[in-house]
Amino acid sequence: MDKQRDFVLRTIEERGVKFVRLWFTDVVGTLKSVALAPAEVEGAFTEGVGIDGSAIEGLTRAFEADVLAHPDPTTFQILPWRGEVDPTARMFCDITTPDGQPAVADPRNVLKRALAAAADRGFTFYTHPEIEFYLLKSSRLKNGRPVPVDSAGYFDNVPGGTAHDFRRRSVRMLEDLGISVEFSHHEAGPGQNEIDLRYADALTTADNIMTFRTVIKEVAIEQGVYATFMPKPFSEHPGSGMHTHVSLFEGDSNAFFDAGGEYQLSQIGRQFVAGLLTHAPEITAVTNQFVNSYKRLWGGDEAPSYVTWGHNNRSALVRVPLYKPGKGQSARVEYRGIDSAANPYLAFSLMLAAGLKGIEEGYELPPEADSDVFNMSSAERRALGYQALPSSLDRALLIMEESELVAETLGEQVFNYVLLNKRREWAGYRAQVTPFELEANLEAL
Amino acid sequence: MTLTELARLGFADLGGTAAVLSGVPDAVVPLFSFAADPDQALRHLLALREKDARRVDRSLVDEDAARRLIEVLGASEGLAAFLVRHPEELAVLAEPLAEPPTVVHYRAALVAAVEGVGGEDARNALRVAYRRELTRLAAWDLDQPEPIEVVPRVAAALADLAAAALDAALVVARAGARFPAEEVAATRLAIIGMGKSGARELNYVSDVDVIFVGGGDGIPDARAIEIGTRLAIDTMHAIHELAVEPPLWEVDANLRPEGKDGALVRSLESHLAYYDRWAKSWEFQALLKARAMAGDLELGERFVAGVAPKVWAASSREGFVESVQRMRERVMQHIPRDEVDVQLKLGPGGLRDVEFTIQLLQLVHGQADPDIRQRATLDALGALADRGYIGRTEAAEFGRDYRFLRLVEHRLQLSRLRRTHLMPRGESDQRALARGTRLATTADGLIAAWREVQQEVRSLHERLFYRPLLSAVASLPEDGYALTSEQAEARLAAIGFQDPRGALHHIAALTGGVSRRAAIQRTLLPVMLQWFAEGADPDYGLLAFRRLSDDLGEAYWFLRMLRDSSGAAQRLTHVLASSRFVGGLFERFPEATAWLENDAELRPRPLAELLEETDATIARHAADVDAAAKALRTARRREVLRLSLAAIVGLIRVEELGTALSDVTTAILTGALRLAHRWGDEVEFGIVAMGRYGGAELGFGSDADIMYVYRPAGCEPEVAQKRAEQIVHEIKRLTEDLRLPLDLDLGLRPEGKNGAIVRSLDSYRAYYERWSLTWEAQALLRARGVVGDAALLADFASMADEVRYPPAITADAIREVKRIKARVEAERLPQGADPARHLKLGRGSLSDVEWLVQLLQLEHAHAVPELRTPSTLHALDAAVAAGLVAEPDADRLRAAWLIASRARSAMTLWTAKTADVLPADRRALEGVARLMEYPPHSATRLDEDYLRTTRIARQVFERLFYGARL
Repeated sequence: MDKQRDFVLRTIEERGVKFVRLWFTDVVGTLKSVALAPAEVEGAFTEGVGIDGSAIEGLTRAFEADVLAHPDPTTFQILPWRGEVDPTARMFCDITTPDGQPAVADPRNVLKRALAAAADRGFTFYTHPEIEFYLLKSSRLKNGRPVPVDSAGYFDNVPGGTAHDFRRRSVRMLEDLGISVEFSHHEAGPGQNEIDLRYADALTTADNIMTFRTVIKEVAIEQGVYATFMPKPFSEHPGSGMHTHVSLFEGDSNAFFDAGGEYQLSQIGRQFVAGLLTHAPEITAVTNQFVNSYKRLWGGDEAPSYVTWGHNNRSALVRVPLYKPGKGQSARVEYRGIDSAANPYLAFSLMLAAGLKGIEEGYELPPEADSDVFNMSSAERRALGYQALPSSLDRALLIMEESELVAETLGEQVFNYVLLNKRREWAGYRAQVTPFELEANLEAL
Repeated sequence: MTLTELARLGFADLGGTAAVLSGVPDAVVPLFSFAADPDQALRHLLALREKDARRVDRSLVDEDAARRLIEVLGASEGLAAFLVRHPEELAVLAEPLAEPPTVVHYRAALVAAVEGVGGEDARNALRVAYRRELTRLAAWDLDQPEPIEVVPRVAAALADLAAAALDAALVVARAGARFPAEEVAATRLAIIGMGKSGARELNYVSDVDVIFVGGGDGIPDARAIEIGTRLAIDTMHAIHELAVEPPLWEVDANLRPEGKDGALVRSLESHLAYYDRWAKSWEFQALLKARAMAGDLELGERFVAGVAPKVWAASSREGFVESVQRMRERVMQHIPRDEVDVQLKLGPGGLRDVEFTIQLLQLVHGQADPDIRQRATLDALGALADRGYIGRTEAAEFGRDYRFLRLVEHRLQLSRLRRTHLMPRGESDQRALARGTRLATTADGLIAAWREVQQEVRSLHERLFYRPLLSAVASLPEDGYALTSEQAEARLAAIGFQDPRGALHHIAALTGGVSRRAAIQRTLLPVMLQWFAEGADPDYGLLAFRRLSDDLGEAYWFLRMLRDSSGAAQRLTHVLASSRFVGGLFERFPEATAWLENDAELRPRPLAELLEETDATIARHAADVDAAAKALRTARRREVLRLSLAAIVGLIRVEELGTALSDVTTAILTGALRLAHRWGDEVEFGIVAMGRYGGAELGFGSDADIMYVYRPAGCEPEVAQKRAEQIVHEIKRLTEDLRLPLDLDLGLRPEGKNGAIVRSLDSYRAYYERWSLTWEAQALLRARGVVGDAALLADFASMADEVRYPPAITADAIREVKRIKARVEAERLPQGADPARHLKLGRGSLSDVEWLVQLLQLEHAHAVPELRTPSTLHALDAAVAAGLVAEPDADRLRAAWLIASRARSAMTLWTAKTADVLPADRRALEGVARLMEYPPHSATRLDEDYLRTTRIARQVFERLFYGARL
């Protein structure tokens, strides 16, 4: 740590950094930023920076007074889109109360607590997200609908132009920020892209996701287009999910791997998956936190509407991929419920907690779902015991509200706030009279 | 030689000894009396003789040399084993040592031993040479008539010998280095001694703490660090890696910047930059002892000179107070249970206590005063006395205690050449220790002396740290020194006083003058200050104590209690530093201090006893109503104070507290009514307890909900109403108390604030008959006649029973109750209050539990007589017994009710004000948490516990009260 701090202060001097942005995330998952002059950075390391807690969503209730932001020097990066004029850097922060205790409402602290709980049991948690998003011509709507940058299916079929530049520029910037990525264009939706972030421990990944969203938005602005992580911007095209591969390590070895297990999945791996499945409905209000999220979950297109797992089943909630022989270290499972607009800190905390619960209680993994659950009759699904994920934010909140697992993992303050805030969103949504209703009803009735 | 004679020499196994004694020359036999363990000495001597009879016999010729050999063999299995391995080294004992050699001598001897030797041979040669010198030093130490006097010299010589070993190891490392020779030569490497080796007070066997500083002399620093790191590793290996001759001790470099994760060798500049920016308080504490010990001394000196100013600025750093507190907590913890009674170092009254106190004093005062910056514990003790920070007598006493403990530790470690700080449990080992230290002649004698030392050291912190605080403000002629007020303030701030200047004023006021009280407080205050500092609000605690002391003046019992009953004095500081409520009440009733001595005095007094006192009071003041009322109010304050003390020291649970506070209220109301309602006024009159008072669930600061009822007994109804109203006004006037308000709340009467303040029984009956579904009728569930004419109260109760325990209740009525509750939730919560933190009306808090219980009572109390109780918890228990509520649900509701009740009372105690919202302010939350018996630093934990408990209770409430979700 201390070496890191030295490095930060030295780099600020050497590179002539003009501003340092302190980043932290509110409960909803919005990135917040405070700018510091270089001279203030050293003080920020030793004493933290006072910020007005009431200005941050979800941080207000218990701490009407100020809170302190402590920059984490290991997250220092120069922001590449600022160029060489007035170079600007950023660090992620941990939030504490004035008497030095970690702020319970800081999402980063929620994840740190969850990771510490896993560490107590000897586990480290790694994640690897595949983030989908849409590129639009602008954020303005045309005929009440967003307009994608290209109407063709394949990125590569659109030579040169925006798409090409966008891709090159984003990869470059992300790599400048130390985030190596793999880019792909979906065949599924026009303008839809997917970027895979490299495997890393969950805290780093969550930080990277926050950075990634900012980079993509910045590059889009630069290129005169608009990027959105909205879960389902087009009813007729697939939504933007954030399929996340997860694994647990015990020391240096992958705890999910067992050469002799079915799909080489170990007992621990099976119990983890069972935990994810059992608690999936409870954590959905966090992994899919917007009204719009449920349009993706229930919009078909292989979205995981039902709580199932499978190996080759593209609509299962949890997929257990096969890996090449000898690659036991890359054993992992893929959670396909979460979407690109989730708060990664909270979502990862809950996925981890659910999986650990499965291990702790020795949950039994139900049989694999090998056929398309979506096309079964509801009687068939009932017979096979396939539960559905909540069909709306409202349902998800009702289920989450009863969940001790979620309350315990998020802590009382965050738990409370998420419920409050999301109920407000649901109420606002429900108050609408939608074009659908007008079209279907106005003339007919 | 007879067995008796053998016993006189100190042998334990007499028969065995006699059988083998022929193996040693007769002239040598009496010398065994000098051995710590004669049996052991004899055993090893015989073993040695078997190995090399010629050399052994030669060394037994000279009596002095023979005595030295026997002393070494009798005290150290480790050295005996060394001599058996290397009989040629017996020669080392031939000549006595006049004085421990200098570091120059040691360095020359050890370096000479390894020069020109390579590989593992060098390691062996180094270790043999080290142990040769160690044997000679041990022989000198063991041959002292008063070994306790030479402890510092032995410890210094051991540190010098360790330094020489490091130097020789570095020579070995340089010789074996696989770098170009000229680059190795150009690599500078200083070894900084830390801890005991830095302070030149090393043990016979302990880890040697070091830091390596590197630098280039004509080659780039980076290259020098690379080579230096290799040299450092090889140096450490030469000392502690396995070889034919066993390792010496661990070289521990973990005190370096960043600990285990940091670079093993850094340049001087890199070190200084680290300490400038990142070092934690404990690292500065460690640097206090830093000394250029071995290797490149010039570079080492520059390191020490460079860090010194930073060390001494440490006490002005942010977080110093916390780090001191944590340091102290560390001293107290981490001793395995089964070792507490045998720990020389960490146990109570152990070496660590001495070292902690002295270091703390150095850090607090050393910033301003360079003269006390000694490294060694004993030197620092002397300097602190010289400069007047502590008394000379204390310095001398504790110096001796420290040497005592160190000497025992030395002999223990010498025995097996192992690092240990545990007093052996076996009698024979203890006896050897007693003889080897010459501190006693028997095992029991040694243990007794040790216990005495422990006792004394335990009071050390108080005598050295706290007691001198008084000298800053009062002259203590017996000590002959005085702290300045700046010095005293620095000490007070270091232990957590927010306003050290104010605190010093109070100390001055408490200890000034020649009164008996001042004299006694001079003795007591030091230890009390320590206790105050452990409380949540030390500043207020001290202020309140001063007021108390001013009030009580020379009261004999007060001084005697403080002086003779340390339990009571500690309790007093605890309650004063925890509670402004108590502090305020004490001002009116200082005599209550006496109760702290005696748990029986803190028990709540039963209602019968309280009523007896009320009777007596009224009889005594028969002629003067106001005087009688005043006496009643005083009695109430006194009893509330008793209960607050009991609650803070943890003698009563919140349920008992509720009953007791209700009884106190009943007692004063009984008296007030007696004064207001005289014989022959032609009305019957009664007071009905309602709400939490009715349920006997009052907390500190709760209002007393009541209703008044009367019945004409001879006069006209209009007259009776007038008379009843007069009685009500008189009761209010008589019980009015600005100091400890008694809020008689009539809000639960029919029509609430708009209703008549008193009604006749008939009027109540008419009202409830007409409005049987209202909140007023529901409130009757907790009605309990407490004071007044018995017949009237009984009639009121049977009237109430008809309303509150109806034979059947319609679905409409139940729905109405639920609707009202839902509306109350929405409306009564104050603007802006966080529903999750409101203790009374908030989510899952008191009112949720109470409403649920009341609904059950309305529905089922007619059929289930056990439900007919005004007490929420009793009714809840009855509901479980009747199968109306599942046990786990009841547990959750009960937990929420209890935590909310406890938090409310604790908040009143903490601030002396009543509030209904769990505080967000961290300091207040901390104070409340401590009152709720959480450990220190639990503000966040209380917060989370409260929110969780009430959230879960709310789930239960919603399910049971409003029914399944639609």
